[in-house]
Amino acid sequence: MECIITIEIGTNAVRIIAFDLTGNVIGSSKGSYPTFHVAPDYSEQDPDQMFITMLYVMKNLLNERIHPFHHEVISICFSASMHSVLPIDKHGVALGNAFTWADNRGKNEAEELKNSSVGNSIYDSTGTPIHPMSPLIKIAWLNRNDRDRFNKAAKFITIKTYIIQQLTKDYLLDYSLASATGLLNIHSREWDTDALEYAGIAASRLPDLVPVFQKLNKLRPEYQKSLGLSEGVKILIGSSDGCLATLGGGVWEKDMATITIEDSGAVRVVSKEVLKDSKQRLFNYLLTDKYYISGGPTNNGGVAFEWFAKQFGDFKSLYDVDQVMQQLVQEATKSRAGSDGLLFLPYLLGERAPIWNANARGTFFGINIMHEKRHFIRATIEGILYEIYSIGKTLESHKTISSLTANGSFASIPFCTQLLADIFNKPISIGKNPDSIAQGAYLLAATNLGIFDSISTAAKSVKMATTFDPNKQTNPIYMKYFGLFERLSNKLQDEFADIARLQSDI
Amino acid sequence: MPHSPFKLLGENAKELIPFPHVIDIGLEVVNSIKLNSFPCLPVKNLQMYLVLDGRFNWIINSKHEVLYPGDTAVILPGQEFGGLHGHQDIGTLVRLQLRIEKIDNDGRIVLGKWSKLSKSERLVIWQILKLNDCPVIKCSYLPPLFQEACAEIRDQELGFVTRVNHILDTLLILICRQITRQAGARRDFPQTFTNLEKNLRQNLSHKWTVEEMAAMMGLGTTAFNEKVKAYTGFPPLHYLINIRISEAIKLLKLKETNITDIALKTGFYSSQHFSTTFKKLTGHTPNEFRKRNTTTE
Repeated sequence: MECIITIEIGTNAVRIIAFDLTGNVIGSSKGSYPTFHVAPDYSEQDPDQMFITMLYVMKNLLNERIHPFHHEVISICFSASMHSVLPIDKHGVALGNAFTWADNRGKNEAEELKNSSVGNSIYDSTGTPIHPMSPLIKIAWLNRNDRDRFNKAAKFITIKTYIIQQLTKDYLLDYSLASATGLLNIHSREWDTDALEYAGIAASRLPDLVPVFQKLNKLRPEYQKSLGLSEGVKILIGSSDGCLATLGGGVWEKDMATITIEDSGAVRVVSKEVLKDSKQRLFNYLLTDKYYISGGPTNNGGVAFEWFAKQFGDFKSLYDVDQVMQQLVQEATKSRAGSDGLLFLPYLLGERAPIWNANARGTFFGINIMHEKRHFIRATIEGILYEIYSIGKTLESHKTISSLTANGSFASIPFCTQLLADIFNKPISIGKNPDSIAQGAYLLAATNLGIFDSISTAAKSVKMATTFDPNKQTNPIYMKYFGLFERLSNKLQDEFADIARLQSDI
Repeated sequence: MPHSPFKLLGENAKELIPFPHVIDIGLEVVNSIKLNSFPCLPVKNLQMYLVLDGRFNWIINSKHEVLYPGDTAVILPGQEFGGLHGHQDIGTLVRLQLRIEKIDNDGRIVLGKWSKLSKSERLVIWQILKLNDCPVIKCSYLPPLFQEACAEIRDQELGFVTRVNHILDTLLILICRQITRQAGARRDFPQTFTNLEKNLRQNLSHKWTVEEMAAMMGLGTTAFNEKVKAYTGFPPLHYLINIRISEAIKLLKLKETNITDIALKTGFYSSQHFSTTFKKLTGHTPNEFRKRNTTTE
């Protein structure tokens, strides 16, 4: 049997999944790697460890699930998390670790650029919000603060580029991932002159741009041999995790959106036009030359609930944090919608869309003497989902959304999906394959192989497992509290700045 | 424990002649405050204190700690230790100072012949003590051990030397178990795993066993195996090979170290072992890999 393999180089782990040509999963394997926080705001990963882990997982999957059954791998498609930067020297040797999306060391540069007129026009041209996550800002930070590394760097590449170069020799980057660097003009599809000037580099110090369907050079002979893959296997560069999660979420009709919540989260839509947001709240990334993925990201998804579980969960009888979280969700169901007036702003890690305020902090509001632990549990979940809704609402100011799909470990907890449906007051479906990033990568490869005649046909083939319909009784309750949630998030700006400053002095 | 500990036995106490590794042990009673009697200075030996009575404000390893009755403090050689205000507070303590022969090159604590701890146990014990940033241990089964050690030394009944040395080993073991428990591997596996990983990288030349790694996390080997597999996708030893190979790749690219040294530095038994493991994973030998990366591609 012929099969397609997708490789997702994610935030914490590489996930490799094998699909048969009709899209059924026939094997999967993952391997994690660490993130290093050597100082506040620093978030780094070791590119060599990521590469070795990828190889190791790939080898195990092939030897256990593919070769023994004589399946033939005919295509491999990559996806990777966005916004990573890795400086390499002229021999291709990594100059230190890679910056991950979560690295915030360029916050001063971001602040300065965001408030300038050139910052505004760079956002319009590149579609990437001006934020420390953006490779534009990270390279500018290196330019100003780490001159030695900046000067030694022959190129600034992404982790995906590094891994693909190891496998095939070429330094390439797909338009899709490139559109999340803050350096690519998403209208002309060339590196943006203003952005390059701000970063202080020439276009020659960036990888070569190719379409997401680009077939890469052959696998180097040593890897063909060690992995047992044929010379003819088609390797596609693929896209980013965010874009592929949207494709794999089956969102294609005009008025659909997809919600992804893992540790962090996002709400995204697909369209042929850019969503121009005058307040710079939304991103616009390229999926293919015809389609844009637009939306907003949040820092505070499942991670905020996990924080709550670690602090207040019952660890005496239960073994680990996953079980504790399950039990807390159980307890949350014992409170009424709206948590009897207890409200939570989930900004433990600062926030991106829609408020884009790195100083924002978590807040419980409205505590009274009747509130019990169960109210706090439910309020925490509701707060995380109000934040998702506030991104959805920002999107709705640009286009109509009538139904949504949800994916990711937090959004697909049935209690959370139902709550999302109630808050959005719209039906929300869960796909059959919970891993929508891999599903998206499969669809890309399958379209490339001619299994689907176009990417939109591919997206429409995604099957839904269940749909959660909104509960008309609870929606008005949530809306009352959401109004307060929005007002507090904006009103507390000065206080957020003050408390963040006090905290940074500790 | 029917017997209460006796007065502090120090350097010349004849009771301590069978225990050259015990510098002092016994009760320390502070009745009055003597100014500047207890300044913050680096200690020479491994010191353990059990608070029986009173409240003690200490600086241990540059951190302010408050100890209450039942608390045990562990201070390692080289760490600074003294009173918050430069004097000892009023109260009663049991004190135990142990001589450590040395810390060997592999990061093992060397205690002397009296101790029956295995090589591997001594490695893990030292790593746990060294990494621990919470020197105050709250644990109900430590106080009886202090009392028992004192009683054995005083009563000198049959087998007391063996018993005391055994209790000292047990103290070290239980302290380390409690430290890993307080660190909460169960509560926050990812965080403690990150700490373990950091430690593995710092001691990559050591041939870590699963038992050693599990002990560092305060878990039994079965639970450790399962959790690491679920969290990383790899059995612990395979995960370790990932780290070894990724570090080796960096050294290979730097071209400053020869391949045998890289193999030993990154924890392989020999350059042969390194070479076969490396080739199995990457398809080429370390030599080929290095050659390929010296040409500009």
